[in-house]
Amino acid sequence: MLKIILISLLLTNIYAYQLENKLKVLIIGKVAKYISWQESDEDMFIITVLRDNDENLFDDIYQNKKIKHKPVSIHYIDDITQLQKTDILYLSPSNSKKLPQILEQLKNKNIFTISDIRGFAEKGGMMQIYFASQRVKLKINLENTQQENFKIKSSLLRISDVLRGNSTNE
Amino acid sequence: MNKLLNTITLSTFLLLSHSLQADDDIFDESLEDLLSMETELKADIGSRNGAKNILESRSPIDVITSKQIKSSGLTSLTDILRYFIAGFNAPETSVADGSDHIRTFTLRGMAPDQVLVLINGKRVHTSSLLHVNGTIGRGSSNVDIDTIIPISIQKIEILRDGAAAQYGSDAIAGVINIILKGANHKNSFSIHHGRRLENDGKSLITDSFLTFPLRYDGFFNISLQAKSQEQTNRAGIDKRLEHPYVTTHAGIPDSKNLLATLNTEIAQFDNILLYSSAIINYRDSEASAFFRPSDHNEKTTLLYPNGFLPLLNAKIIDTSLTVGINGELSNEIFWDLSNVYGYNRIKYYINNSMNYSLGALSPTSFYNGSLSFSQNTTNLDLKKDFYQLKIAGGLEYRYESYKIDAGDKSSYIDGGAQGFPGYSEESDIDKDRYSYALYLDTTYLFQEGLSLEGAIRYENYSDFGSTTNLKLASDYRVVENVLLRASLSTGFRAPSLAQSNYSNIATFGGVRSGTFQPYAPISQELGAKALKAETSKHLTVGTIYKVTNSTTITIDYFLTDVNDKIILSDPQTLTQEQQHKYKVEKISCFTNAIDTRTYGIDIKLNKKIIFQNSSSLDLTLWYNYNKNRVLKNITKENSFEQIDRVENGQPKHNIKLLSRYERNKLTYQLNLNAFSNYAQVINNEKYWFEKQLITDLDISYKITNDISIAIGGNNIFDSMPNRWDGLSSKYYGYDTIKPYSRYSPFGYSGAYYYINISMEF
Repeated sequence: MLKIILISLLLTNIYAYQLENKLKVLIIGKVAKYISWQESDEDMFIITVLRDNDENLFDDIYQNKKIKHKPVSIHYIDDITQLQKTDILYLSPSNSKKLPQILEQLKNKNIFTISDIRGFAEKGGMMQIYFASQRVKLKINLENTQQENFKIKSSLLRISDVLRGNSTNE
Repeated sequence: MNKLLNTITLSTFLLLSHSLQADDDIFDESLEDLLSMETELKADIGSRNGAKNILESRSPIDVITSKQIKSSGLTSLTDILRYFIAGFNAPETSVADGSDHIRTFTLRGMAPDQVLVLINGKRVHTSSLLHVNGTIGRGSSNVDIDTIIPISIQKIEILRDGAAAQYGSDAIAGVINIILKGANHKNSFSIHHGRRLENDGKSLITDSFLTFPLRYDGFFNISLQAKSQEQTNRAGIDKRLEHPYVTTHAGIPDSKNLLATLNTEIAQFDNILLYSSAIINYRDSEASAFFRPSDHNEKTTLLYPNGFLPLLNAKIIDTSLTVGINGELSNEIFWDLSNVYGYNRIKYYINNSMNYSLGALSPTSFYNGSLSFSQNTTNLDLKKDFYQLKIAGGLEYRYESYKIDAGDKSSYIDGGAQGFPGYSEESDIDKDRYSYALYLDTTYLFQEGLSLEGAIRYENYSDFGSTTNLKLASDYRVVENVLLRASLSTGFRAPSLAQSNYSNIATFGGVRSGTFQPYAPISQELGAKALKAETSKHLTVGTIYKVTNSTTITIDYFLTDVNDKIILSDPQTLTQEQQHKYKVEKISCFTNAIDTRTYGIDIKLNKKIIFQNSSSLDLTLWYNYNKNRVLKNITKENSFEQIDRVENGQPKHNIKLLSRYERNKLTYQLNLNAFSNYAQVINNEKYWFEKQLITDLDISYKITNDISIAIGGNNIFDSMPNRWDGLSSKYYGYDTIKPYSRYSPFGYSGAYYYINISMEF
């Protein structure tokens, strides 16, 4: 009986992710095909996760997967000063207090920023993920992406809320 | 043998979990597909530690979404809850004074004041009305939830568990949390017109929702509703007359309603959030008393040669205003400071009446006085997560006041106005009290699928003292798709200010009868004691079985014991000496009169089917069983009617089959609602009313992406409750004025058909 309990506990850990979290993590990788980065000589497509409690989810989803024909590498950092070369930086909601300082450090680094922090797209971020009426939605601040020389395909803009200008980095 | 048992058990676990693993990989879905996926329904209710997937909650929680509300075709919140929630009962009473104008509701057959209502997680004030007639909910005051406009609602969360240790007084049968629409909604407008099969009860309702986006996902939303409702009349003939005809109104009242709901969030760059919501409701409602024939009194014909029908008019104002601010400290402590003020006032007028004692000089219209109740609640909440440990707590200060203002002297002197004597100067009262509370709610997540929550709340009331309540709740995921949950808690309900302070004297059939406060000299002489809080103990044990990603079954058993439940006693006849001393012949009083036990089960199946042609079918099958028993009759003076109303006045079984089918531009919503029988006692005789099946249908067609037209009906096959079986008295009986029981869980106005046009912009 003990074995059964142990096995059941094991199963619990493997399949317990919420669809909301899963969609969020999947979308972070999915949007890459709509975005053009400046030339990169990296062999890997790097997603950096800044302070998130659901780290295993990124590993589970992107293990042995490719984005833009490159194997995916997931980096986890606790502080923005630890940031190395990356294509996408995901900022968890726990970074909201330090958001201005974090975004300041990302200027001119050609890093695409994604977060589900409230008001992220208006506060200087590039793409905000949010949930409304049980659906995941995207909000893109076009001016912020253009400032970092990203080109975004119109097909992504069509399915997102687009903020044109009015980027606020107070 | 042991090995075989283990093998079988292990196989069962693996089999149960298999169905979810099979369709778990969504990595290869396109971005468009991911954006169209429906995520979990989450609810804030049930824990102070953040929103949680309702299929992983430690206590049973149901959520009604704005989409469901819209496709139900219903325009009042009471009807919406009755439509979607098994075990939610909301009879439509008539010829019951104030109870005609503010609908009562119950959950699991318990009292209306044993349900706590929140808006955006903040306590809502009850109405000032005490139901003092022989209706379901007699002796209690409930929140008037019809003051909230359905179009303003994003979702309704219903916690079916005791939660006084988390939210304080009243959270005994459950908690209803109404979440108003926030950001990212469209403006909308709708117009609804309907009528009953018998060509009365016409309604015309316009709803509008306007939203103004503010910075950082802030918003300012305003919803408006104007509603005109014509009465229905299902009264029988008046046998007191020589040539009987229908003299009295028995059905839903005539009413006009203006409602507004505001909700706003103003987010600051530094993560400070200012929020506010407001409810404003004005209702002008008119219903009748029993007809007074010309021989009702020797003076009747002085003004009314053919008799008269007194019409009770209630002008009701209900408002609330919430303001709050929240943010996060540098050490990641989330804080929230809020204040909620709520106010309800009912002004009574009676028209087409007379005061017999004034003879031919009697006015025919009277101002009968008013009831008002206000409540101000201030909360400071703090919350912090320490990895797997979540801690939330806070402080609450609440101030309440209750007032009865006397009416015109002519409305109450010497028997008062016929139909509804006014509140006299003896009833005129202005009472208040305050309370403060400290609460703590902690959750420890041992691992995904195994958590333990503990809550404690200390509360001190200025009028009856202090109480401390506890709650323990846990969930354990046996395998991926089977979750067990249980909770154990204590609770309480503070006696309302109205119960402690209401008084009124009326004359019926020449007998002067009064309701008196427990502290009134006459009550004291009869041994009345100051009201103390009702206390409760709760147990809920259940399971959630996620058969597939689109099919779930939940089963929950519940048991609630309430001690010292407060009820309004039957009128007691006083001795000659007492009658002479107090100038009244009968007296009723609120007392901690009975101990009750409520137990039962909820079994709920949810299934979503998506067909190959992209159409979809949402199905809910829900069975609720609740049994209410009076364990102890403390005062020994409660009548058979009082006890039986608690035990048999409401259906014990309720089955709902809700279905919504969507295909291209068409949406069908079909609802079957079956109630078991119930009983009402009249003159010490019990009469049973048979089980019924009610069918509701709404068919909606999208003319364009933004404009829809819907036709539908509630109770489309015109089910009617059976008439009194064998009873034939002056007022109640199969062949007289009131042929149906006022306890009928679906009223007795019959089929209602409507057309609704809505647009979004």
